[in-house]
Amino acid sequence: MFDDIKTADLAYVGKKAGRPDMVEKLTGEAMFVSDMELPGMLHAQLKKSPHARARIKHIETAKAAALPGVRAIITGEELDYHIGLYIVDKYILAKGEVRHYGEAVAAVAAETLEQARAAVEAIEVEYESLPPVLHHMDALKPDAPLVHPDLGTYSYVTAAFTPKPGTNIANHTKLRKGDVDKGFAESAYIVEREYSCPSVQHVPMETHVAIVQWGKGDKVSIWTSAQSPFTVRNLFCHAFKLPHINVRVQTPYVGGGFGGKAGIGVEPLCAVLSRKANGKPVKFQASREEEFSLLPCRSALTYRIKTGISADGRILAQHMTMYWDSGAYADYAVNVTRASGFSASGPYEIPNAWVDAYTIYTNKPYGTAYRGFGHVEFHWAVERHMELIASAIGMDPLEFRLKNALRPGCHTMTGEEILPGTGNVVKCIEEAARRVGYGTLTAAEKAREKKTGWKIGKGVAALQKAPAMPSFTATSVVLKMNEDGSVLVNLALCDYGQGTYASIRQIVAERLGFDIEKVKVAFENDTDRDPYDWQTVASKGLLLSGNAAILAAEDLLKTAYAVAGEALRANPRDLAHDGTKVYIKHHPSKSVSFSSMAVGLAMPNGNGIGGPLIGVGRYIAQGLSNLDKETGEGNPAIDWTYGAHGMIVEVNEDTGEYRVLKVASVYDVGRAINPDIVRGQAIGGMIQGLGTAICEGYIYDQQGRLLNPSFTDNKIPTAKDLPMEIECAVVETPQVDGPYGARGVGEHSMISVAPALGNAIQKATGAEITHMPMRFEDVWRAIQKKEPIDNWITKSPVGSCRSAPELRNHE
Amino acid sequence: MVYEFRYLAPRTASELAALLDGHKTDGKILAGGTDLIPNIRNGLMKPRVVIDIKKYEGADRISFGSDGLSMGPAVTINDVLRSKDARERYPVLCGCAHELASHQIRNRATVTGNVVNASPCSDMAPALLCLGASAVIRSATGERIVPFSQFFAGVKKTVLVPGEFLERIVVPAASAGAVGRYMKLKRIAGHDLGIVGVLMTRHEGRLRFAVSSAAPTPVLVDTVTEKDSPDEAARKVLAAVSPISDVRGTREYRVHMIGVYVRRLLAEVR
Amino acid sequence: MKIKLTVNGLLYERDCAEHTTLLRFIREGLGLTGTKEGCGMGECGACTVILNGHAVNSCMVLAAEVDGAVISTIEGEAQGPSLSDIQKSFEKHHAVQCGFCTPGMVMSVKELLVDNRKPSTDEVKEAIEGNFCRCTGYTQIVEAVMDLTGQPDGKGELEHV
Ligand code: FES
Ligand code: FES
Repeated sequence: MFDDIKTADLAYVGKKAGRPDMVEKLTGEAMFVSDMELPGMLHAQLKKSPHARARIKHIETAKAAALPGVRAIITGEELDYHIGLYIVDKYILAKGEVRHYGEAVAAVAAETLEQARAAVEAIEVEYESLPPVLHHMDALKPDAPLVHPDLGTYSYVTAAFTPKPGTNIANHTKLRKGDVDKGFAESAYIVEREYSCPSVQHVPMETHVAIVQWGKGDKVSIWTSAQSPFTVRNLFCHAFKLPHINVRVQTPYVGGGFGGKAGIGVEPLCAVLSRKANGKPVKFQASREEEFSLLPCRSALTYRIKTGISADGRILAQHMTMYWDSGAYADYAVNVTRASGFSASGPYEIPNAWVDAYTIYTNKPYGTAYRGFGHVEFHWAVERHMELIASAIGMDPLEFRLKNALRPGCHTMTGEEILPGTGNVVKCIEEAARRVGYGTLTAAEKAREKKTGWKIGKGVAALQKAPAMPSFTATSVVLKMNEDGSVLVNLALCDYGQGTYASIRQIVAERLGFDIEKVKVAFENDTDRDPYDWQTVASKGLLLSGNAAILAAEDLLKTAYAVAGEALRANPRDLAHDGTKVYIKHHPSKSVSFSSMAVGLAMPNGNGIGGPLIGVGRYIAQGLSNLDKETGEGNPAIDWTYGAHGMIVEVNEDTGEYRVLKVASVYDVGRAINPDIVRGQAIGGMIQGLGTAICEGYIYDQQGRLLNPSFTDNKIPTAKDLPMEIECAVVETPQVDGPYGARGVGEHSMISVAPALGNAIQKATGAEITHMPMRFEDVWRAIQKKEPIDNWITKSPVGSCRSAPELRNHE
Repeated sequence: MVYEFRYLAPRTASELAALLDGHKTDGKILAGGTDLIPNIRNGLMKPRVVIDIKKYEGADRISFGSDGLSMGPAVTINDVLRSKDARERYPVLCGCAHELASHQIRNRATVTGNVVNASPCSDMAPALLCLGASAVIRSATGERIVPFSQFFAGVKKTVLVPGEFLERIVVPAASAGAVGRYMKLKRIAGHDLGIVGVLMTRHEGRLRFAVSSAAPTPVLVDTVTEKDSPDEAARKVLAAVSPISDVRGTREYRVHMIGVYVRRLLAEVR
Repeated sequence: MKIKLTVNGLLYERDCAEHTTLLRFIREGLGLTGTKEGCGMGECGACTVILNGHAVNSCMVLAAEVDGAVISTIEGEAQGPSLSDIQKSFEKHHAVQCGFCTPGMVMSVKELLVDNRKPSTDEVKEAIEGNFCRCTGYTQIVEAVMDLTGQPDGKGELEHV
């Protein structure tokens, strides 16, 4: 969809343009599901497991059922629906066994929240606690308890995944390229290290919420804070074996998602309660604590990389093993594993590559998609690894990166050739380095070091990501002209904050040649009214829906030209249009206005022609293929967005305290359709990435109980945590099949922020940090070469990151 | 809130004392609410009666007189920061106040609540300890005055017994003009509970240290003298605390950072 | 119990349960759902309203406590059909993404500007420190306030290489 038109020659694309949702959001008028209330609506509350793994012996609900206002109580025993995105492995409520701390075992719907809570407290559950398997590396041991003994009986997407029944491995993705043994044999250096990061929470400011009404005749209405209404409908219909026409999913304004709301969440729970309560609508909103442990998180990762390097600093071979902690259910984690597997090297050419990526079940809250889809986690490893290799072989890390970076003519690990239009990672790296004055300290920086006694270091890290999606991912956009010649855009790709609708609006106005004020993109999506979109994930929205929007605009114009041609007695080829009318090119005064054609044109004699002007655009990913299960070969990437961060940090070597002085982020976005929105994504993601880098992460005790399920001990960055200086820049190598050359950048800003920080800290202090996050204490320990904190599943109260239970209220 | 309770708002201090006397086991005092309400929400406390301490005449008074700065039970952290007397005479009190939570919470949380809560990571306690402040405690049967050095009894425990309330905090006039600084180690630059906090004051030739998040209660150390070397000072402070390892940090790091802070403070507070 | 309070200039007299938080009262009792709940624990600031001139987390205030109070919420910010200056500046600077933190954020900024017409960036950051925003990374919010108070730094642009 790329026409090589300079931004200067475009009216809206590439220019400043406002967001269409501002007034509603700034005035509090925007209606989120959490704000909705329906007549007769009941409120749901959940009974949750205090154990990481236990057999449910008995659930006593009689007392609770007798309490005032209680309209429905459900336990797992009465339900027999399995749900799952790629592997169908989850019950709506735990049945027989609980598999993680915080898993729901019973649900109540009552007239008021207070009544529902009282009923939940009156439910008694008898458990037989079982030894949990908590660390994903432990779960691989031959004698580890099985989280899913029945894995062999579950259905799953066979084209993409390979579960290993009889083990805790939910998926094994393989990739083989070239001859690794030969590459290692020819290498002058071999560097092998292990890296890790814990599970983290997405923290959308609006927690998951749904209202479901199971009406008579099994007609189900769902209002939900989901990213992907059609996927909710599809999975819901599969789980309940309902025809799709029976189920309607609506997503009004959604308060952030970041991947955590990509699939199906609390909707089935509300549905079964509503059905049992004779069709009354039931609302459930997760508390912040439930958001941490009932709802999914981002998977933890342990990543081992062994690299062979030639004497002159070229990577010859790389052996990569990823161990992804899926938690109790596979959800998106299996696909995170797959997508990370084919991208596992970062934006570097690896002539001989070997990847094994495992998704491993454990007894912890389950992992799902999270902005970056695995790339934040494994780029932490790859980009720290590049730094550590460079220091091991005595080469400057920037030079080492540039030497191995992907360039036209290189091949990705799946065999895809990099073309001049693929994007320019070299330029991104160079520009990020330049913007932080990489390699030296300025006089001012030296003076600052002297004054504070803190050491200043500069680091760079690169990144890449392609959308991870089925090879046949499709979307559609419908344009409908209003009576006054303005245009309404309908699409089911959601805008839950990322700003895609502003860009779509610009694209539609540009392609139609209309004043942008005459284009409205309808918020509040509805599967009964909007045309299909697969999911709002993967940074694929702008590319796919942008293309569909262009096609829809062209379709609408084509229809209008046909009507105008008939009315003006002219061949449509001889027509042109402006923002209000279609006219004959060589008789510009002969025209017919869009408003007169909008809902059907009345000829002077009263005859009607045409009909309502509607444009339809359909777009499907092109040229993608399944990956060979043994070699990983194939084409998984519709586009690659490259980028890099440069970071300046100052560190106190005596304490590990540090401050980020500057971050410069550069992405090759093809074309920045809306510069302010690109910048918003760039900074928002960078700060989210910084949160992951500096403080976020789940900490469990040895029973598998989450010790920090709230903002008290799971901090996220605040305004005070901003780096002192932030720069965002774009390289614009047009994407040949992107709308106006654009490609996505929604997730990329979060990737490689942590390793840029780690690299800068290493430069300043020599600390070789391989675990994320980098709390001050972690940095101090690395500088002092002390044992790292035994993160995330803590062993003993002393010398570890955990308080003894009796001291836990020590705060 | 999903738990029900009754709300009472006595209009005089003696009415308050009488109410507390009648609800020794099922009543809770509501001041700023920034701890009580989350605790009720989380089911950690289930009072039948919540007694608002803010509504009686004079509860929100902050004033400076001959005996010093007096703060009633409804005086918020930001009331302290806005008080000219506090700012000019007790910069240390304001320094600690400023480190407490976020602006919205400082608009609501009270000084008395912060100490009655007796959290080891209280940010106001270090100031009150170093400034030699006392608690004026009242009940239906009378009044007693307890210096803050004897006020804390353990993790989340004070010397208050059911039926009593903290009617006033008095910071002595003699401490006016004390200079000092509170260093609080946090996980993020934004609002957070302290991993450790160390306050040092210097006043009329006397040094005082108070440490938060490093023992079951906030700890006062007044044995350091100007003659002590920085290492000796750090040793004395560390001897008085007993930090633990928890989700915020290890004992080892806390010990290290307390030492670092003591040395930094000695160098910086002039 | 019965309470009487002024919200956005209108006097309301309502029955409310004694254990109801101000947040719930505003949202459910008065139908003013612009004020949001993000944690219910005083950590996130989504519920920020201005109570008698001060920004507070309404999730930690009981409705019963504020009998007689004067409260401003986001719904009172725009006068008539047009946005307030704060809102206009947020709009101009793309200081909003999902919008869930926005009402609380605007309230915090509003309180700041009442007695500080020229805040420094540090003062702005401190004023909104208690308002979590997971989307924007705060920068465009700070820029909106600096521009509004006549102190634009001119750096808030995407650069093209
Ligand atoms: S909802 Fe009140 S602070 Fe989060
Ligand atoms: S705009 Fe989404 S949380 Fe701030």
